[in-house]
Amino acid sequence: MSDVIDTLAGIAPDSPLWKLRRERPEVVTHLQGSDDAIFAPADDGGLTRAERAAAALRSSELLRDDVLVQHYRARLAALDPKGVLAKTVEGGAQLTDARWDAIVAHVDLVTRGPGAAAREDIESLTAAGLSSHAIVSLSQLIAFVSFQSRVLAGLRMLKGAA
Amino acid sequence: MKPMRDFIHGELAWKPWVTPLDITAATQEQLAALKVTPSNRAVGAYSLVLAHDPEALNARSPLYNGIMFGAKGLPRAERELGAVTASRINGCAYCASVHALRFNQLAKQPEVIERIQRDGVAAELEPRLRAIVDYAAKLTRDPAAITPADAAPLRAQGLGDLEILDLTHAVAMFAWANRLMQTLGEAADPAAPGNPL
Repeated sequence: MSDVIDTLAGIAPDSPLWKLRRERPEVVTHLQGSDDAIFAPADDGGLTRAERAAAALRSSELLRDDVLVQHYRARLAALDPKGVLAKTVEGGAQLTDARWDAIVAHVDLVTRGPGAAAREDIESLTAAGLSSHAIVSLSQLIAFVSFQSRVLAGLRMLKGAA
Repeated sequence: MKPMRDFIHGELAWKPWVTPLDITAATQEQLAALKVTPSNRAVGAYSLVLAHDPEALNARSPLYNGIMFGAKGLPRAERELGAVTASRINGCAYCASVHALRFNQLAKQPEVIERIQRDGVAAELEPRLRAIVDYAAKLTRDPAAITPADAAPLRAQGLGDLEILDLTHAVAMFAWANRLMQTLGEAADPAAPGNPL
């Protein structure tokens, strides 16, 4: 299976940056393992793969990372062929589903900066019907996209400065 | 933003907003992700919250260890300084207190944390630490603003590609860790009643 970070950073096999990343083999392995666990879990806890891709698309747009946006847009299109979730994230469609409204609000809050979060934000997710598993999965997902955007920024910097 | 707590004088505890997993009801997969064994059942509230999603936890723990403790490359103290910088900017008092202590244990330069605590991430620092904190701050605040030119101050202070990659990983990991810590619970005084840590 291909490595998402290499693909998104444009790192070709056996290139200098590819070799540099392999000096941290446990990071390469478990970074991809985190991607798999977050976006293709065996047990989704009630937060579907399509919803996960849509939440990540929203987060990557806030981060203004065009490569990540394209990545999650494609991932979502494969999981949500009718484009219902894409419209709520990207198309300005009116959000009427309370559960999805709560998810999007949490994505925006946590991506922009975690310092403003309060107990009520978790309570609103619970009130919208998310399980503890789904809330933790959503939190891991948003935080992972923020992590991913910074790893990509550093790799692009090294690539451009080589 | 909430006021920043003092992060020099001892670690803060953490109080969850999501009910932690009841370990007596944990599945085998959750116990494995928590690394719980018959001789090690001391698991903190933060891990018990994350164990609601054992797949994500099981991948993230070895990733964290690889980034913060991997051999060679950037000295561990400087990875901790990246963690402190990100945590300070994000306002994660718990993370900042833990990683300020780790920096102090590793670096034996208590004045570095004292200055950052007093003056923020723009505090006066020796040139190598200044370059590390500047990059960590920019990467934390706005990764989209990073350009190839941002590597030059790090290289001028002797950081090679592996050291820069290690610093990037550490700062990125705290974009992740801060977001979990600050949105699934809050920092609390260690003496607060009912605190499980």
